[in-house]
Order: sequence, then structure tokens, then C-alpha cells
Amino acid sequence: MNDCRRYQDLIEEYLGGTIGEGRLEELKAHVAACKTCAEEFRRCTMMQEVVADALQSQVTAHDAAQAIVERLPNRMNVRPRRGGVRVIRVRLAVAAVVLLAVGLIGGFVAGRHGPAGPALTVAPMQVARVDGTVLVRHEGSDTWQTLRSDSTVCLGDTFHCASGADLTLRLKDGKSTLELSENSMLALKAYESETRFFLEHGHCRASLESPHGPFFIETPHGRAEALGTEFTVTVE
Amino acid sequence: MADVPRQSGPDDEQLVLATLRGDIPSFGLLVERYWKMVFALALSRVHESGEAEDIAQESFLKAYSQLHTLREPWRFAGWLGKIATQQCVNAVRRDIRHKTLVSCETGESADPDTIPAYSSNPGLTEPQIQLVQRTVGRLPEKLQRLIIMRFTTGLSAVQIAQQLGKRPGTVRVWLHRAYQILRKDLAPLLEEVES
Repeated sequence: MNDCRRYQDLIEEYLGGTIGEGRLEELKAHVAACKTCAEEFRRCTMMQEVVADALQSQVTAHDAAQAIVERLPNRMNVRPRRGGVRVIRVRLAVAAVVLLAVGLIGGFVAGRHGPAGPALTVAPMQVARVDGTVLVRHEGSDTWQTLRSDSTVCLGDTFHCASGADLTLRLKDGKSTLELSENSMLALKAYESETRFFLEHGHCRASLESPHGPFFIETPHGRAEALGTEFTVTVE
Repeated sequence: MADVPRQSGPDDEQLVLATLRGDIPSFGLLVERYWKMVFALALSRVHESGEAEDIAQESFLKAYSQLHTLREPWRFAGWLGKIATQQCVNAVRRDIRHKTLVSCETGESADPDTIPAYSSNPGLTEPQIQLVQRTVGRLPEKLQRLIIMRFTTGLSAVQIAQQLGKRPGTVRVWLHRAYQILRKDLAPLLEEVES
């Protein structure tokens, strides 16, 4: 009986998905020989199946995923509807060529160099260090891009450090730095008369060279102003 | 003896980061992975499959729109479960308001036992399905979420603990408590199914 109590624990480990291979083999062998434990094991697995079945959806996960993806805001990345794939691809290619030609001519006429796009103001700051997955989103854009060490920093940029990642920005004096820790999100709000960041969540550390101009870090809960040369801000 | 299901392909964190970079099909994979869980969470609260599907869809759309706020992408499932639970609470509140209005106008009241139940399992009868749904629905919220995460996604107790930011020992104790309640309340049904 004492032996069976141990196998009750193993059955529960099996239900919890934490049973190891060796213990599973042991349980199988015991269940094959012990009628009471075999019954108990059968009841437990049946309970698991009955609950899963009673809460099952008629819609398959695949169909649900397709329906939801079609409702997402950015439809350009969704697979085109069946039947018109080739036509859509050809149209997209023609549209791309036309847009490219218009862009090139427009750029030439305006005497401008580099890619035309939303008016982004390049900030006099640099990416000093990127470690791990750090994403950036320009102001007015919905798309996140991977930040590289040679990326340009623009006014309104939002930086997101994923788990295990960190970012160091070199500020406009070329010496001061701002470090953003993992699982943090920070936006550059101003850099001219004052330097202002918004820390949405996470942790950042500013190391400022003296004398420095007005320097602020805003958070959803308040605003921190740099009075000394080093300080940290954390938003839980 | 069935093996514990295991996830294959990219992990949740990779899919979340890819989605944030604009790769929408990655979000589709997350939906495929957790559709059953979110639907089951909704169905255990609202007991009506059409409404549960709507809630599940809205939960995923909300998760997509707020994905940038997810601080720990490897905890996507736990975070999604919270969103789904909140969507259910909102839906039930809306439903109560609506039913109050309807009953005021018509003098009728809704009987939960008359709400049709649904399952794709041909082995269970309608009353049996209703009994299971009501039993799971009566579990305390934390136990309910654990049971559904465990039974529909195949996540182990340890993985669920990681998702919810709890200690594995705590999750094991809660699961044990949930099993005891389910075993007791579903005992007649299990006997019926067996015979």
C-alpha cells in the first residue's frame, strides 16, 4: 500500500507533465501489475481527456489563425487571397517599378540625395553599443526594425531592448551616455534646448559629463531631472 | 500512454520579436499555438461556443495591438491568458447588462441550463459537456487557468510556473487542488463514460 502511495505521486507528476523518462517507465511497469493504480491512472487520464474535449473549439487552430491574421491592421504582410496570387504579384511589381521611377525623378528634380520618406530629424547622437536584440521604431511608423551599431538616431525614435539585450547611446556632447537595460522601452523626445527621454518601462542609467544642459527622463509616473552626473531611473 | 505534447518550431520569444519586426505570419503561428487555450478559457466562462470564439479572436487582436508592451516575450502564453481572462470579464459584464435590459423589457430570465453546449467530441453527450464546462467554470480563477493551460497547450507544471511568474512548487500544489476538485465533481461522469 505504501508502495502504491508513491505511484499516486508519479501519476500526478505524469498529469503535471513533469515526470522523467525513468520514472515514467517505472510507473508503466507498476500500472501493468497493480489493478488499483491502473484504475486510478485510467481515471486521471480520462479526466484530462474529458476536460480537454468538452472545451474544444469547432474552429481549427489553423483556420482561427488565418481569420485573425486577416483582421490585423497591416494586411500587406498577409498572404494574398487564393486565385489571384500571380495577378497581384505582377501588379505589385509594376506598382513598385512606377513608384521607383517617380521617386528617382522626384529626387533628381528636387536635387535631393538619399531615400525620400517621412520627415525624420536626425539627432546628434550615436549608437555606442548594441548587445542582443534591440529594436527601434521611428516616429509615425508602426514597424519595428533591428537597431545596428551604425544606425542613425532620429528624434522621436523608440528603442526596445529585448530580454538579455542592452543599448548604450552616446549623447550630443560625444561623451555623455545613456544605457538602456533589458526589457526596457525608451523614446527620444527632444535634444536641442534640452535633452528629454521618455522611459515607458524598464531601467536606464545616464552618465553625463559636466557641465551638461537640461536633461530629463520622463516616465508614466513623473519626471526626473539630472542634477549631478550619474543617475538611474526604473519604471516597474 | 500518451506522450506529453511538445512544442516544435521557433519558440514564443522568437515569434514575438519577429512579429514586432513586422512579420505578421509569426503572429499567426502564435495564434495556432494558443488558440485552444484561449478558446477554452473563454468557453469555461461564457458556456457558448460562438461567443467564446469571438472573445478568443478579440483577445488575440488585443494581444497583437499591445505586443510592444510585453516586457518578457518568453512569457507570452501567461500574458495572453491574462488578456483572455480580462476579455471574458468584460464580455460577461456586457452580457449581464444586456440580459438585464432584455429581461426588463420581456420579463424573461436566462437559464444557464438552457444554453446549448458545444463540443466537437462525439463521445460526450450534451449534458456531459455542460457538466464539464460548469465544473471547470466553477473552479477558482487561478486553478481554472492552470488546468486549461495544462490540458490544452501541453505546457508542463514547470513551464506554466515560468509563464505565470510563480514557483513550480506553488503551481504543483494548485494543480493538485484542481485535480482533486475535478475528480470529485466529475466522478459520476467518469463512471458514465467508462460504462
